[in-house]
Amino acid sequence: MKLFRKKDDLYLSDKQPLSISGKILLIITYIILISWAVAIIWPLFQMVLSAFNGKQEQYLMLNDQFVFSLKHFEYLFNKTLFLKWAKNTILIALATAILTLIIVSFTGYAYSRYRFKGKKASLMAMMLIQAIPTFAGITAYFTMYSVISSINPAFTRQLMLVLIYAGGGIANNTFILKGYIDSISTELDDAAKIDGCSNLQVYRLIIMPIAKPMLALIALWSFIGPFMDYLLPKVLLTSPESYTLAAGLFTLINDVRTLNQPAFAAGGLLTAIPIVILFIVLQKQLVSGLSQGSVKG
Amino acid sequence: MEVTLKNIGKKYEGREEFTLRGIDLKIEDQDFCVILGPSGCGKTTLLRMIAGLNSITEGDLYFNDKRVNRTPPKDRDIAMVFQSYALYPHMTVYDNMAFSLMMRKENKKFIHERVMEAAKLLELTDYLYSKPSDISGGQRQRVALGRAIVRKPKVFLMDEPLSNLDAKLREHMRVELVRLHKTLGSITVYVTHDQTEAMTMATKIVLMDDGKIQQVGKPDEFYNKPANIFVAKFIGSPTMNIIEGSMKNGKFISNDGIINVKPSKEDEESLKSYEGRKVSLGIRAERFESGGHIGDTFECTIDVVEMLGKEKILYTRLENGHELIISVPGHYEYNEGEKHSFGYDISALHFFDGETGRRIN
Repeated sequence: MKLFRKKDDLYLSDKQPLSISGKILLIITYIILISWAVAIIWPLFQMVLSAFNGKQEQYLMLNDQFVFSLKHFEYLFNKTLFLKWAKNTILIALATAILTLIIVSFTGYAYSRYRFKGKKASLMAMMLIQAIPTFAGITAYFTMYSVISSINPAFTRQLMLVLIYAGGGIANNTFILKGYIDSISTELDDAAKIDGCSNLQVYRLIIMPIAKPMLALIALWSFIGPFMDYLLPKVLLTSPESYTLAAGLFTLINDVRTLNQPAFAAGGLLTAIPIVILFIVLQKQLVSGLSQGSVKG
Repeated sequence: MEVTLKNIGKKYEGREEFTLRGIDLKIEDQDFCVILGPSGCGKTTLLRMIAGLNSITEGDLYFNDKRVNRTPPKDRDIAMVFQSYALYPHMTVYDNMAFSLMMRKENKKFIHERVMEAAKLLELTDYLYSKPSDISGGQRQRVALGRAIVRKPKVFLMDEPLSNLDAKLREHMRVELVRLHKTLGSITVYVTHDQTEAMTMATKIVLMDDGKIQQVGKPDEFYNKPANIFVAKFIGSPTMNIIEGSMKNGKFISNDGIINVKPSKEDEESLKSYEGRKVSLGIRAERFESGGHIGDTFECTIDVVEMLGKEKILYTRLENGHELIISVPGHYEYNEGEKHSFGYDISALHFFDGETGRRIN
């Protein structure tokens, strides 16, 4: 028994033991963190609850009555254009992610591996332009859109949206990818070139697989963007048919004719699903650091 | 196969000076050519120019009779082993080795045969399906070699391939590399700053300094007939003793007068025109004679004794404080603080022009 006692008393942490003031500070830290977590989780919890609560009518009421029902989801699917919005959003998000990946692949690789005139200046310029909010260009977008669509009627407002999202992401993502590719030894490029790769092949066969974690992250961010953005689709898209989820769902809480707050909660819940799936699928890529062990021992 | 460099020069973008200039070199078939030099002398640049990874600013590079200045690396029939190995981290050992053949669209069976052949030669068969991150440094080194040999190129380029290995493994790989070179019968161009590697492996050493070739030749020429003071000091460990002085009445006399040596008959001939002029005398640590009953001698105090087993290195000081390094067989009795006389092996003296540093005899 005594022996066991002794074992329990052993202090095994590598950190210095806490003093009393340290303990108080620790408790305060926990209180802050927990209250913060509650502030985030409680509304989410209410949203989930309301979405499944049959007692809720047009307006959300925070009361104790709860009857499980899927009627808000039914309403969402049958009475609104929810499916259409979801389809729009996913298409826009996919197109944005793919377009961003392609463009950023080129820019990131070029900025990392090539020396050219104005490299520094253009990087700085991109960073500065990035500081202006995308929304500030809305009039320009309108003009651009009307010019392009008058030449090519197939150019829809949704395509315009994709271009804005993808273009807006170029600067930041180029920086991120450039930084990542910089950390990959250029000897790998040299080796690949001697092995018979062209410049594009070097990127496609060597650099891209190594930079996968970063590319996955960039893809994820650009994919989530259209789900979160409300302002641009609201302004740019005119018919409810072409709305994205954010813009579409908003009609459920700000327009008296279509008002249905529990359905809004249900829609919000469903919106999270594709993103969560994507996170799970890409988890491995996001976490791994593949380039370990490529050089040295 | 022959690699010829004619008056090659390289200037990097944004630099004022040429990194390399006026490099003339001929590497013959089956040569194991080691490019040796201190860091920053341009040896890696030269190798990368032969590989085609760096452009050639001036001069011509020939593979046989074909000028290859503008040929891309993949069409030069070369393979390169990098200091960091540069293995593709996302591919298995097998894929790493097969990659270059795959890029050349060879058929699968042929690739498999070549990879297995190389793997067997380098004893890699057990790790073929591991990733580079899962194998040890020595194994990675061999994979990097394997990747180079599967294609059976005409020229092997190696950029300090052994510098990341521990001492024992390095010793082992040195022999392996020479054996490999003999089996393959191609040209190897090997860059290193380690003179031991150069002396042990090379059939031809190119010693570079400050963007210029200092001497080209066989390892024993480097040791026994260094072309100038830089070469004399660079090659050999411990460093060659250099004593500054001048010729007087057919004898070498150091500036302080402590050392005076009468050169051998053959050396006397070439030193004739240097009478009264500045001359530097070089003598290797192991070419002093102990005993003092032969010809000219000098006396010195032993400062530090380094015991290496088969030999002892004595760091001695002359009366005026000038340091001389003397090596004696390990079983001889020498202790710190003692005074001793040493003589010279006059057949092993090196005389250099005091102004230009060039070899005289």
